[in-house]
Amino acid sequence: MRFSGLRILKEGLTGNKGWTPHWRDPDPKEEYDIVIIGGGGHGLATAYYLARDHGLTNIAVLERGYIGGGNVGRNTTIVRANYNMPGNSEFYSHSLRLWEGLEDDLNYNVMHSQRGVINLFHSDGQRDYAARRANSMIQQGDDAILLDREGVREKVPYLDFDNARFPIYGGLYHPRGGTARHDAVAWGFARGADQRGVDLLQNCEVTGIDIENGQVRGVQTSRGAIRAKKVGIVVAGRSGQVAAMAGMRLPIESHILQAFVTEGLKPCIDQVVTFGMGHFYISQSDKGGLVFGGDLDFYASYASRGNLPMAEHVMEAGMALMPMIGKARVLRSWGGIMDMSPDGSPIIDRTPVDGLFLNCGWCYGGFKAVPGSGSVFAHLMATGRYHDAATRFRLDRFRDGYGLMDEEGTGSQHNLH
Amino acid sequence: MRITCPICGARDRREFYYQGAALTRPGPDDGAQAWDDYVHLRDNPAGITRELWQHEAGCAAWIVVTRDTVTHAVHGAELATDLAGEVQS
Amino acid sequence: MLELTAKSPCSGLLPMTIGPFTLTEMTPLAMTSIAPRKGQESALSDALKAAHGMAFPAPGRATGKAEARAVWFGRGVALLIGPTADAALAEHAALTDQSDAWAVVRLEGQGAEDVLARLVPVDLRAAVFKRGHTARTQLMHMSASVTRVGDRAFQIMVFRSMAATLVHDLETAMRSIAARS
Repeated sequence: MRFSGLRILKEGLTGNKGWTPHWRDPDPKEEYDIVIIGGGGHGLATAYYLARDHGLTNIAVLERGYIGGGNVGRNTTIVRANYNMPGNSEFYSHSLRLWEGLEDDLNYNVMHSQRGVINLFHSDGQRDYAARRANSMIQQGDDAILLDREGVREKVPYLDFDNARFPIYGGLYHPRGGTARHDAVAWGFARGADQRGVDLLQNCEVTGIDIENGQVRGVQTSRGAIRAKKVGIVVAGRSGQVAAMAGMRLPIESHILQAFVTEGLKPCIDQVVTFGMGHFYISQSDKGGLVFGGDLDFYASYASRGNLPMAEHVMEAGMALMPMIGKARVLRSWGGIMDMSPDGSPIIDRTPVDGLFLNCGWCYGGFKAVPGSGSVFAHLMATGRYHDAATRFRLDRFRDGYGLMDEEGTGSQHNLH
Repeated sequence: MRITCPICGARDRREFYYQGAALTRPGPDDGAQAWDDYVHLRDNPAGITRELWQHEAGCAAWIVVTRDTVTHAVHGAELATDLAGEVQS
Repeated sequence: MLELTAKSPCSGLLPMTIGPFTLTEMTPLAMTSIAPRKGQESALSDALKAAHGMAFPAPGRATGKAEARAVWFGRGVALLIGPTADAALAEHAALTDQSDAWAVVRLEGQGAEDVLARLVPVDLRAAVFKRGHTARTQLMHMSASVTRVGDRAFQIMVFRSMAATLVHDLETAMRSIAARS
């Protein structure tokens, strides 16, 4: 079924009886050309681009729970391409361009809103860094505007510009950045993949990976054995467990990142505003809730919920930046399980097992990468070659130290990101 | 989450600094693979794990905490100095 | 030659009385951290007793009296507050003069635990935190030492540079609690 305004009108006039499920609920086949482990945003996007760009449709996506129930439904929905370092820069640029055509491409309203992202800075040194980062973004072909203090005040007048510790000097404005509706992204890719013949197998937990003579042969699942010529692991948050089924240890620790949403308010925050020094960022959802978050809880966890000290820290930082939000009531908080890599950048690569591919390590930035990640991983799985926008996400970069992408400059070591 | 410091007793998580998995440090001549394992690669278990924490805002002792990463239950903690040679940060 | 005037850490900020609570600054003559050398713990404790009249405190405890107190200050360290440390102690321990490094205040009043409950993540009620008990912990985001020095009185210490923040945080909490009673 194609969605359109006309269709909505017609259904509205005929009792909305013509809508059909967005995707099928097939039984697993005995064999597929490609099995994708993980039905999150990245896995679904991988399957979609394998079908769209490479004509491969004998594909299954295996999801332990339900579509949209993992990190793709547990994030703060920010979409941006404002990275500084080669490797990340071209990749997120590629991803943002895919975002910009996504709704037409998927025939699905993912509520992609390019409302702009503002990264605040608070010292001359930080301004210099912002200028350098802005130049890298422009060099990459993306947009960046350096705002002075008054420029920031014009856009976000409600900030506390004279905070004693972090007075606002200006901001790095990225107009093409913004937000999207997270669930809709999962649903749109799921529907798009399904329409091209991909089997989405929910409630299908992978319990083993079959390997013979260094070649992947298929997977064992809670719905029976499935043979496959190629297998992609796309399970950020759980990468360590799944990779262990193939005898691998990964450079990944799973950590909790909390986020919060308030009651619905009238529109008051028009952009995404990030306050890096306070580990705080915020945007307002189309429903009106203020969506905000902070830094990791900083201990390994699979609990999907954090602890109070970090919740307090985030609220304090929010109050320091924009005292006006103090009267909003927080409705909900949640935690996403982050695949933390030592340098803070992802891994999209082959593995030592033939036919087994790995996509993981998204740290706290997986959502904006969904289309890009799916597209470059599909390219790698289909052709065996790295996509031009993703040549540096190597699994072995930690061992030899070549090609590390430490965007924060804190060092390539666990517990530093 | 409350962690039972062997010296100070049960204390709030905010008093502690997290280092990561409690691992055995390789020798200087053990080779690149051993050091890659130690510095980067992790079992990252969903369940019981042993980790190094420091009671930063309390007695300042380094401790090895046995903890469940799924439930956040803390099952015990020992002074790292009592385990010297077994784990090192 | 310039004439310098010594100022206490909370000079100009204290004393303060809010409802049932009083907050006063304490200005001990000297503060010295004492870290016994390995295997010298009991010899040091004996020397401390001979020189200043109190044993080396166990973890979480303070020994001595108001004018000369030894407060457990972390693993293998106590802080001697009051007298200048006797040089003989150096035979068994590393001594470090910290006299001007800490702000020391005394919070007193019925319900002082309730004030601290807003700031400190440790249970300080009299049933579990008795006179002579001490804790290294946090007060808001500051590293602190909290000691019960009376049925309704606590000694609170943070780094000297944070004195104004300490007073601000305590004042805010005292006002909130006082407003409830």
